[in-house]
Amino acid sequence: MVAGAWICLLAPLAGALGITLAGQRISRRTAGWISTLSTFVAFGGALVAFFGLWAADPSDREHVSTAYTWLAAGDFEVGLQIQLDTLSSTMMLVVSGVGGLIVWYSMGYMAGDDEERRYFAYMSLFVFSMLLLVEAGNFLLLLVGWGLVGLASYLLIGFWHHRPEAVAAAKKAFVMNAIGDATFALACVLLIWETGTLEFAGVFEDVGSLSSTTVNLVALGLLGGAIAKSAQIPLQTWLPDAMEGPTPVSALIHAATMVTAGVYLLVRAHPIFEATPDVQHLAAILGAATLLVAGAIALVQWDIKRVIAYSTMSQIGYMFLAAGIGAYGYAIFHLMTHAFFKALLFMSAGLVIHHLDGEQDIRRMGGLKEVMPRTHVAFLVGILALVGIPPFAGFWSKDGIIASALAAGGALGYTLYVAALIGALFTGAYAFRLYYTVFRGSQSEYAAEHAHEGHGEGPRSMLVPVWILTVLSTIGGLVVIPGVWHPLTEWIGETAEALVDPTVAEDYETSTLAVVLGLVGLFLARRAFQAGRQLVTNPAIWRVLEHKLYFDELYDALFFRPAVALSVALRRNVEEPVIERSLDEIGSGTIQVGGEVARVQSGLLRTYAVAIAFAVCVLVVVFVAVR
Amino acid sequence: MLTTALILLPIAGALVVAILPLPRETTAGLAFLVALMEVGLWIAAAARFDFDDGSLQLGTSREWVESLGISYSVGFYGFSLWLTGAAVIVSAAAIGYAVWIGRDRPRAYHALMLLLTGAIVATFASQDLLLFYISFEAMLIPLYVLVGVWGGARRQAATLTFVVYTMAGSLLMLASVVAFGVTQGTFSLVDSGTSDNVWIFLGFAIAFAIKAPLFPFHGWLPLAYREAPVEVAAVLSAVVSKTAIYGFLRIGLPKFPEPADDLSGVILVLAGAGLVYGSLLAFRAPDLRGVVAYSSMAQMGLITLGVFAFDDLGLDGAVLQSVAHGLVSASMFLLVGMVEHRCGTGELASLGGMARGRPALATVVMVAGMIALAVPGSATFAGEFLIMAGVYDQGWGYSIVVALGVVLAAMYTLRVISAILHVKPGPAVREGALDLRPAELALVLPMILALLVLSAWPALVSQSSFPGNDAAQAISDGFR
Amino acid sequence: MDGPDIGWYLIVAAMLFGIGALGVMLRRSPLIVLLSLEIMLNASNLTLIAFARQRGDLTGQVFALAVMAVAAAEVAIGLGLIVAMARRRMVLDVDQASALRG
Repeated sequence: MVAGAWICLLAPLAGALGITLAGQRISRRTAGWISTLSTFVAFGGALVAFFGLWAADPSDREHVSTAYTWLAAGDFEVGLQIQLDTLSSTMMLVVSGVGGLIVWYSMGYMAGDDEERRYFAYMSLFVFSMLLLVEAGNFLLLLVGWGLVGLASYLLIGFWHHRPEAVAAAKKAFVMNAIGDATFALACVLLIWETGTLEFAGVFEDVGSLSSTTVNLVALGLLGGAIAKSAQIPLQTWLPDAMEGPTPVSALIHAATMVTAGVYLLVRAHPIFEATPDVQHLAAILGAATLLVAGAIALVQWDIKRVIAYSTMSQIGYMFLAAGIGAYGYAIFHLMTHAFFKALLFMSAGLVIHHLDGEQDIRRMGGLKEVMPRTHVAFLVGILALVGIPPFAGFWSKDGIIASALAAGGALGYTLYVAALIGALFTGAYAFRLYYTVFRGSQSEYAAEHAHEGHGEGPRSMLVPVWILTVLSTIGGLVVIPGVWHPLTEWIGETAEALVDPTVAEDYETSTLAVVLGLVGLFLARRAFQAGRQLVTNPAIWRVLEHKLYFDELYDALFFRPAVALSVALRRNVEEPVIERSLDEIGSGTIQVGGEVARVQSGLLRTYAVAIAFAVCVLVVVFVAVR
Repeated sequence: MLTTALILLPIAGALVVAILPLPRETTAGLAFLVALMEVGLWIAAAARFDFDDGSLQLGTSREWVESLGISYSVGFYGFSLWLTGAAVIVSAAAIGYAVWIGRDRPRAYHALMLLLTGAIVATFASQDLLLFYISFEAMLIPLYVLVGVWGGARRQAATLTFVVYTMAGSLLMLASVVAFGVTQGTFSLVDSGTSDNVWIFLGFAIAFAIKAPLFPFHGWLPLAYREAPVEVAAVLSAVVSKTAIYGFLRIGLPKFPEPADDLSGVILVLAGAGLVYGSLLAFRAPDLRGVVAYSSMAQMGLITLGVFAFDDLGLDGAVLQSVAHGLVSASMFLLVGMVEHRCGTGELASLGGMARGRPALATVVMVAGMIALAVPGSATFAGEFLIMAGVYDQGWGYSIVVALGVVLAAMYTLRVISAILHVKPGPAVREGALDLRPAELALVLPMILALLVLSAWPALVSQSSFPGNDAAQAISDGFR
Repeated sequence: MDGPDIGWYLIVAAMLFGIGALGVMLRRSPLIVLLSLEIMLNASNLTLIAFARQRGDLTGQVFALAVMAVAAAEVAIGLGLIVAMARRRMVLDVDQASALRG
């Protein structure tokens, strides 16, 4: 069982190392297979671990296994250790399973690229890092996985490194994540001093005895890491730009796995957040704000991947909301279904982009239903799951979250409830706007030109994963049916017990409302589409949304420019005049003093003689006087 | 004896190289061979070293000037052995690079490089204050000549600044050495007790601050790092700067516990200021060497923060970070040299797009860069984390400064990586500019591999640096 | 002990030394300056010998011998320099020889 978890962790690492070391000795295709198979081996390991845990007694479902001491100083020790429990085993399945499908899909998508081997090495590195993140048995190792997924994300966003936009987006993502890493690390520092350990069990045991300031700061530090990684307000601006990477990368990293790591962290560290409800609620509020803002921005975007990216931010907002009110089971449940349908959406979008030779502007698409019928079905399933139409996967998980907000009650609970419902309306609207613009209506000229006849919709390696995800997005939500059964939320509850539990009545009431709102969104989008106008008609609002609420401009003015200005000012006002010139001044000062002193050296022998005689006289007088 | 052999081998090698009238290639090859033998000797020393035993090991002691209490006394503790390891590896890579690039007047050049190596090893090994001083100064002589003769266009200005700064430090240190030795009645670091004289401590501290360099004593750094031959700059930033850290660890803290404690506030503030200041200047530096030079200064500030944290976490972190930064900064400088060699310039604006078609260069630059910016999981991350945790005890503000340094490091390192590798080729990048040659790879890869090993297991260094794995105790006991 | 009291010797020596010192300070010819130097040396020799006699310790006399040897060497060099100056047709005036001015 624990061995399965280790295999799960190490297989992708072996894949990454193998591809790197083999270099050009293996073909591109082999590299793809190594990467895909190693990920599926990891999935196998995850299955072994999962079923081992399933079969075990509920009291025996938490295993910690340490390989060796990774870092030590004095009494402080951190092991390379993994923790296998219900939460991590579920995450392992999602990461390696969806990951495997996406890597497999990449073999078709990336076929013919110059640097396919590098791509697959990065992909394997990412899967390893993500598994390290979810399996880590202490905060430091979690932080290591946290940073390494950021690294892999940087490498993959900037994979096409000849494109300036891709490089800039990669740098932006890395730096914003570095801010999150830094606050995360500071939280770890506090934990070391206050609890003496970074192991989950030890920290959670001591949480009760910490001062409220400490707990607040630790929770804020962790939350900082979580919002940076999960692209929540106010550290959200990197995610849309990250769409410069290859589409499978967007599916894997920026939809299914890495960006949801923040949610995982909130759930994993729930005892800390529960000890400071204010910070936990802050997470929920940020999630609600993000889901509204991102949903609104998605209404006006033209890039197919950016629309889906904003949708991802919005959906992660739901998960944050859930984790913030203590509905951990539903947060992870939505994380899982979201991984299915969002990966599906990205991958079918990838099929469209692939088909249209890299075009991503939806204004140049349209009427693709006839040319790409199978892609159309897959995309539609993804959209339906996203909007939360029963019985598709997103319906069950999202409504669980909204119902939990209702069940949480209080001013906060109701506010979140309303926000989540408005979000459902936005979701319906932007999702179907996207669907109609891309697949319905008449074919655009560009689409007609590029519709390769007889070309099919894509190679099998791309289609099979899409089919599998279509099935998962359809039935994947059936593991939780209110009033019937909820094995998944109970399973997660063993590690992170939920603070709120919506009643069946609340559940169905919410479901009805949410579905109705989603359908209203659908009809709005449909009417706008048929009338040939936009969803947002007010030009001022349009402009604000199109500029993503001016966050980029704001951060540019607040942080980047001051940093540059400060750096230039330091160079001009300190480094050059003070540090570098001070030496010149010491030099010229010495020369000047030397010039003065040199005058004594007259060169006249008799002057010297007089000086000596005079000095002798003085000395004699001094000696006599002293005596 | 092994320690003496470690010191004498490169010096003897220097004499042989300087005297024997061999042809160019043979001379260079011989020097490289000596440097490799030195690495082998170090491995032998490390194999014999018992990391669990806290006392001075591999020691040799012989009376030198009995009446003054001066002795030839050498030996290693865990941390000095690790620093020596980084030093000999970096020296071998630097000499190898000089061989590969074919420096002019190889007999003089390689003799000086070997002499430098010997002096550095002697500094890390010496257990007598006067011997320490002599070795500390002996490092400078080859450096003056190496920078002044083989340097770039402004080499004379660079040498002059370097001489003035280091001389000022040396004189202060000499005064302190004499004062300390005379008041203690012995120059032996092992036998002498502690002193509470602030002025003597200040003499040492300023000398170390100049050598590191710490803000604001870094006036010599930009010129020296830009004008020195690139492999000399590598040795300077990777190893020579670490002798200052060794000085703080072996002399500054254990011999002057009270003054060090009294002045720790000032030093911590200066170190933190240096970290931020160096990072900001690195962020806008217009050329490759400027970025690496200022980042090196920032890192020295960081390591000093760890040293003056005075606790296990900070001290172990400082040693780990010294070793890791030594390896990574030498790798970066050598890579800078290889890029400059291909493009004829280090101006960031003229570079770019080198990743395309040069997989080895791209991979190595990326890996070295990622370790340099301390991506979590790397040895540098482990070191920075320990320092960040250790210095928290001196004030939470310092931990925040370290965190800020981490973010700034990401910014300037990514900038330089992209400037070399990404987007379209710059005006100085010729289509035919080659990928890294096997020989160049063979010089950089061992250092990168050592870093990867340290990344997989940073406890290797952090756990075995101080006696009894209790750094603060060992320092306050004066290693006795 | 025979002979005058030690005080007389010292007075003579002091007079000699004063004459020599004034000569060095006031005269401009290098030859005379050299000569005055010799007078000063001999003044100190005289004190050495006088004290040696008074204390019955020969060390002073030995020392005086050493001074004479050094003085001889010094004269040789000094005269050599003067001859060299004369050969270069330089003015034999110490005030003119000021090339060492800073």
